[in-house]
Amino acid sequence: MSILEYNGASIVAMKGKNCVAIAADKRLGIRFQTVSCDFQKIFPMGKKLFIGLPGLATDVQTFANELKFHTNLYNLSESREISPKVFLSMVSNFLYQRRFGPYFIEPVIAGLDPKTDEPFIASTDLIGCPMVTDDFVVAGTCLEQLYGMCETLYKPDMQPDELFECISQSLLNAQDRDAYSGWGGVVYVIEPNKITKRELKARMD
Amino acid sequence: MAGMYTTHMHLPRMVDMKEKVAEFWQEEASLSQPRKHTLQPIVTGTSVLGIKCRDGVVVAADTLGSYGSLARFRDISRLMKVNDSTIIGGFGDYADFQFIMKLLEQQTIDDNVVGDGVYRDAPSIHNWLRCVLYNRRSKMNPLWNTIVVAGRDFAGKPYLGYVDKIGVSFTDKSVATGFGSYIAQPMMRKAMEENPNMSVEEAKRLMERCLKVLFYRDCRSLNRFQIGVVTETESSISDPISAETDWSIGANPSGYE
Amino acid sequence: MAVLVDEGYQTHPTVQHRFFPYAQNGGTVVAVAGEDFSVVGCDTRLSEGYSILSRDVSKVRKMTKSGLLGCVGFHGDVLTLTKMLDAKMKQYKHTHGKDMSCEAMAQMLSSTLYYRRFFPYWVYNMVAGIDNNGKGCVFSYDPVGSYERETYRACGSASAIIQPLLDNQLGYKNQSNANPAPLTRDRVRTMVRDIFAAASERDIYTGDEVEISVIDANGIDTQRFPLRSD
Repeated sequence: MSILEYNGASIVAMKGKNCVAIAADKRLGIRFQTVSCDFQKIFPMGKKLFIGLPGLATDVQTFANELKFHTNLYNLSESREISPKVFLSMVSNFLYQRRFGPYFIEPVIAGLDPKTDEPFIASTDLIGCPMVTDDFVVAGTCLEQLYGMCETLYKPDMQPDELFECISQSLLNAQDRDAYSGWGGVVYVIEPNKITKRELKARMD
Repeated sequence: MAGMYTTHMHLPRMVDMKEKVAEFWQEEASLSQPRKHTLQPIVTGTSVLGIKCRDGVVVAADTLGSYGSLARFRDISRLMKVNDSTIIGGFGDYADFQFIMKLLEQQTIDDNVVGDGVYRDAPSIHNWLRCVLYNRRSKMNPLWNTIVVAGRDFAGKPYLGYVDKIGVSFTDKSVATGFGSYIAQPMMRKAMEENPNMSVEEAKRLMERCLKVLFYRDCRSLNRFQIGVVTETESSISDPISAETDWSIGANPSGYE
Repeated sequence: MAVLVDEGYQTHPTVQHRFFPYAQNGGTVVAVAGEDFSVVGCDTRLSEGYSILSRDVSKVRKMTKSGLLGCVGFHGDVLTLTKMLDAKMKQYKHTHGKDMSCEAMAQMLSSTLYYRRFFPYWVYNMVAGIDNNGKGCVFSYDPVGSYERETYRACGSASAIIQPLLDNQLGYKNQSNANPAPLTRDRVRTMVRDIFAAASERDIYTGDEVEISVIDANGIDTQRFPLRSD
């Protein structure tokens, strides 16, 4: 079994009309044993920028701290917010630096450009190969299920409330068919003037 | 050996399954004797290609038996005429293919001995080969071949089948084995799409083109091949022929120096 | 002087290629049971590794007037298993003078699969049809014969992609204010078609064509629709 599946997680991000959403489950487990039902997997990295980190929990926390440190440093030295595109390059570079002893995480990035408010979503693999898409990105232990849900439920140019419904349904139904992820969910909808965080109730089995 | 798979049609007898099962396990248990299983192919034949057209079926293979990378036997026939309705082509271990040919020959003789004029059509030979190959794989003692069955059924309709060493079998408009499935199959599928009502003559020319390209790119192939044709009335295999090649293009690709 | 030889380490172990008697030939089946009908969808692609062996292989078989069997997995076993089943069905018909019911067929398939428990048929099966009471029925299996009657199921290479979607759209899972309307033949057929279109986007072993059969008291109506062929 892959070490990427040791703790279990599922993360999805979607693009809407002038908005993006990112959602994750809340489970932390050790293989099939659930340890926590309130584990943070999505981390704010700017005013309108979030990163979701599915994978080995210890690497999730280490890497999130490392990224927060470097984005803070960027903000101080540049006196401006980091844009999602630049942030993706940063994540990609950090991961590739550990090419032969990687962090076991597969990041998902969602955010709006600090200047233009242009929506942006992307993901990378565990050694930092970036992938930018126009519709949705998925990662984690129920990636296949998420692809199936997103591929059918997604449509372009959704409004924020519609986007929330779509991403929530995708996440909930996908994680219900995965033993490693689930036990609640959290959704962030990012709009130019506000960020809405909603917690989802889910099957607890 | 051939008797193992032939039914004695003139003398029906009850088969005692218990006896058969005991035989099977005994064979497995007798470890004192050396076990003769094909664990890897030794002398091998490369691609076999087949195409189904409006008035018949065309099948082709080159005449090389490779021993690893050595072009060991340069004049062996990998096509076999089973009867007037069917030709088969063999890919993989040539010794195993010879064994299969022997079985089929014996079966044809058995059929003729009955003398009722009944022969086996391509679908039944295809199905029979699948049973033989699947049975051998189930005993973990495979016949290391992929076989292309080209012919016609009792109604006279063209038939083209494929069966591999683990018993995966299907019929299609065009089939290719080995390296041919990467190089010739796309060419044949394209040609069939552009000209769904291909004639035997057109198919033969297509085969020559495919085999030529295979000769250019497949290091285990030879520019000496046979083409078998099954039409409504008969089946025949050509004498070995060669395609005209042009290696001058070899100077054009760059970056490999 | 004694020479100590450390035998604790290993040099490169000899790699022996063993004959593997199975192949994964891909394919997906989806079956849905309605009130008085059932629907089976199956793609027609046969693959091995990254090659497409054939674009036109039907993996759904008509077993009786009102029962279909869809099988995917290792195609060699699919052919052998269906041949076995055909023989058993015929034997049953000659003995009892009638077709096997779907329930009987389901149990028989389970026994046939379990008979090969220690050298399994690597086949994922799905039986769909009309049961003894005229209701739509779907039975799904694992390769060694454990089975269950269900109202909807996806199996095969794209099962993980499709199953959560069926949960959502047909099982109304995670929909708090849904009012389930009874399924109609057209709705299910359209849904199965869309589902296969989605699955063929993301699963390389599903594609070329989808064959959808609707089984009801009037018989079996089969239609084919094109899918991605790359």
